Amino acid sequence: MLNRIWRAFGVSLAFALFGLGGIALGFVAMPLLRMTTFDAKTLRRRTQRFVHQCFRGYIALWQGLGLFSAELHHLERLRAPVGPRGRLIIANHPSLIDVVFLVSLLPEVDCIVKRSLWRNPFLRWPVVWARYIPNQAGETLVQACVERLHAGRILLVFPEGTRSRPGEPLLMQRGAAQIALAAGCEIVPVLVRCEPEFLSKRQWPWQAPPVKPHFTIAIEAALTPRAEPLPGEPNALAARRLTREFLAWYTQKLGITPL
Amino acid sequence: MRTEQEIFDKLRDILIDLFEIEPAKIQLEARFFEDLDIDSIDVIDLLLKLNEVTGKKIQAEQFKHVRTVGDVVSALAALLNEPRERSA
Repeated sequence: MLNRIWRAFGVSLAFALFGLGGIALGFVAMPLLRMTTFDAKTLRRRTQRFVHQCFRGYIALWQGLGLFSAELHHLERLRAPVGPRGRLIIANHPSLIDVVFLVSLLPEVDCIVKRSLWRNPFLRWPVVWARYIPNQAGETLVQACVERLHAGRILLVFPEGTRSRPGEPLLMQRGAAQIALAAGCEIVPVLVRCEPEFLSKRQWPWQAPPVKPHFTIAIEAALTPRAEPLPGEPNALAARRLTREFLAWYTQKLGITPL
Repeated sequence: MRTEQEIFDKLRDILIDLFEIEPAKIQLEARFFEDLDIDSIDVIDLLLKLNEVTGKKIQAEQFKHVRTVGDVVSALAALLNEPRERSA
């Protein structure tokens, strides 16, 4: 019981630190980092690595406060050399902290970020300098992602587009498949499990579960070295097929009752 | 001149070919996103196909306010039946 009260308090503390840290980093550290170079690519590398280190520290803080525990499997798969068409990492999205977790494992990664952050006074410059990709409609977004992948970069996408609804069948949008097919890239799936449910779509952040949550993050073997349509298959149908494949794969691995 | 019925029939065939949509679902009042599961990338594919079939350049702009199958039929009817440009 005492432990549960501590965890409820600790989560609030951790969120407050995230907010304060965001302001401090956005106003102090980031502008200093900005002044170290005029080269856009160098700036991107430095900004992304800086965000990565902050998130590493932040995850360590959560674990240090005893708010959750975690185990990681096959991190070496993230470090394997990336091919010329890039690597798309897809992941399921059970909790609010998944993206922080994944970025803490990837020193440099391109992410799709809410477009509203480009108008957020605290976060605008970090997302610009890290050259994260704003989630705009359709073709523009796919095109932006393909450019990154074809530069041999790693892109992280949550095919569900938002956090999962616990206890319900998984639902996915087709964007991840569209990007993979347009780039013809490698697809590496990540399985994120959290027991019990924590920071999920139906919980308030301060709702501490009865026992300490445990995350298991597994980098699985690539689904394909090169996403492509079947011979003669139109793009729209290939995207539907690939999305069904993602959905079936995650549904089976997570032991969810299918739709 | 093409009648709206002819345009609808053609559009239905295209939707079935491109997106494997159940024929019964394709009604004039069916909404693309909600009822037919056609997303913004699919719309680009659909426009390319319509350009090819009609031989007219349809701009994404003209489809901005399209929500239902019926909206596309009306837009296409207007486009196909507009008076031919006078030759210079």
